[in-house]
Amino acid sequence: MLRVEKLRKVFENRKRNVRDTVEAVKDVSFECIPGEIFGLLGPNGAGKTTTLRCISTLIKPTSGNVYIDRYNVLENEKAIRSRIGFLTSDMKLDGFFTPDYMVDYFGALNKMNKEDIRQRKEHLFNELQMKDFIHKKIDKLSTGMKQKTAIAISLIHDPDVIVFDEPTNGLDVITSKSVTDFLEKYAKEGKTIVISTHNMHVAEKLCDRFGILVKGELKELGSLKSILDKNSSESLEDVFFSYILPSAEEEVSHA
Amino acid sequence: MLSDSLIILKKELKRIFTDRRMVAMLVLLPLLMLPAMYSIMAKMGQARDSDIESFRSTICIYEGEGNENVIGPFVEALSSINTTLELVQLNELDEVKQSITDKGKELLIVMPDNFHENLASYRTFDIEIYFNSIADYSEYAYNRVDEVLTELSGDMVRERILESGMSEEILSVFTVNEAPILVDLAKEGSVIGKIISILLPFFIIIYLFVNSMKVGLDTVAGEKERGTLAVTLVNQVDRLSIVIGKMVSVMIAAVVGAASSVIGLIIASKYFMGMFGASGAAIASYRMNSIHILQFTIVIIPLAVLVASMVLIVSTFARNTKEGQGMIMPVYFVVMIVGVATMQTGDVPPRWMLSTPIFNSLLVLKDIFMQSVTWSSILTAVLSSVVLSAILIYLTLRMFSSEKILFRI
Repeated sequence: MLRVEKLRKVFENRKRNVRDTVEAVKDVSFECIPGEIFGLLGPNGAGKTTTLRCISTLIKPTSGNVYIDRYNVLENEKAIRSRIGFLTSDMKLDGFFTPDYMVDYFGALNKMNKEDIRQRKEHLFNELQMKDFIHKKIDKLSTGMKQKTAIAISLIHDPDVIVFDEPTNGLDVITSKSVTDFLEKYAKEGKTIVISTHNMHVAEKLCDRFGILVKGELKELGSLKSILDKNSSESLEDVFFSYILPSAEEEVSHA
Repeated sequence: MLSDSLIILKKELKRIFTDRRMVAMLVLLPLLMLPAMYSIMAKMGQARDSDIESFRSTICIYEGEGNENVIGPFVEALSSINTTLELVQLNELDEVKQSITDKGKELLIVMPDNFHENLASYRTFDIEIYFNSIADYSEYAYNRVDEVLTELSGDMVRERILESGMSEEILSVFTVNEAPILVDLAKEGSVIGKIISILLPFFIIIYLFVNSMKVGLDTVAGEKERGTLAVTLVNQVDRLSIVIGKMVSVMIAAVVGAASSVIGLIIASKYFMGMFGASGAAIASYRMNSIHILQFTIVIIPLAVLVASMVLIVSTFARNTKEGQGMIMPVYFVVMIVGVATMQTGDVPPRWMLSTPIFNSLLVLKDIFMQSVTWSSILTAVLSSVVLSAILIYLTLRMFSSEKILFRI
């Protein structure tokens, strides 16, 4: 189980000796249980990626904590990493290598022995229907094939928690569907999945529960029904825009 | 930790040495560039020399006022040169000079007035020879004519001495090093070593740096750009292992480049040694024994580690490879200046050079090639490289723990 507790992240910038601070994430708390897909929604700059990076131990929280089972990111980085699969749609794998080699490489970095890597690869390549291209150079693969390779890399060590930053960003409809199908299937196996997205249609279809982040603050948290009921709205998109548009208009008037 | 570094190292080496383009750039280019460059230079030089020697130059002679048939003895003397002689008049001199400037004619010899009187009364007179120093044919003709006239002058003096009943030995008080004995007491091979040592440290540092740049900028800045570094960091491998694995791969690429350039220079030496006046026998006699090779290895590896860690710290700081290239260029220029400066240092370099990393390693490499190195200077060079590398690796590790640097946007 994943638990985010009063997570706060402040970035400091120093320019010409002037200290400037940006509070990217403000006391965010949520939980995600095994078998559940949690969607962190928000516009660009809302703090989604920062939250996911804190969960993945890439950056340290300024205050608050993130727990996976009995481990937390402040004290048990390695234990957290062994339980997490992190993936971002921005990732571009080195085109020189083959999917097979890259999956082997990340398996080895996760301290897996050769036999475990072989068995896990077999499973993932079957699940993701990758067998036809695992020995081709990544350079020669389509976007969808590359995305499947990236997923296989992140899941080689069979993590309990999957953190996926913008899983369908930049993907065509077919690839996007194969990714969401896979995530649904993976959740059914009892895995905990957290995704960030600003695509409301993907979120509505895929996620069991949602958190709407605006300027670092978690404005909404709950199931689709509870959020729609609370806001008397018919779609998640309407709720989302009810938070986004005022701040966007504010920004325009400041400009 | 070591096994994690090895996993990363293996992947980086696979990336470097199974990519044909990369191998061509890192290994073949430094290996073939120098032999290709020097063989082309040697071939072009030979072709130019034979063209100049076979060219029939036009030499104009003005006999001077009050002279008749002055050029008689000169014509005979100049017959050894492939030339056409033309007698010119006083009013044609400016036109001939202009023609030499315009590369139409090669030389103008202006004899003094009253030549015979001067000669008979033993008065020294001056012969003016006009030429064009930027025209190859003209310069060659000038050198040959000057040689012939100097010899002719010597013969005429000798004749005068003999006519006066004296021995021509009066012209020579003593000679220097005419006896057929070995007077150069330099160690065998060190003369050739000195020629090699002028060029080699420069090429070694350049290829150490160029190969480190080709590999090192991509290894961290490239991975940041592609987003794969973040995925690597979420794995269970610690950051020191990542830094060590990547640094050793950059260092290996650097050493391979330096070794290729050494082999390339040895191949090229048959072309360029002649340019420095070294004989074929002397070149063939040059040998580096196992001690010299050991010394070379002891110095080059810490130097490669230092260069690799310089590139790696820039690569870690940069947001992407493009920014890394911009940041590394000033460092590259400084390294080039250091390389050029070591070419110009004499036998006793300034003390500050001996205690400055990179400088001292290159000077020690020079001494190894000249076979006159001391173990204390090797130790100083190695220690300074190791200390500076350790500082840079420590700073790189700090950067690897810095969110601001790893995830700068």
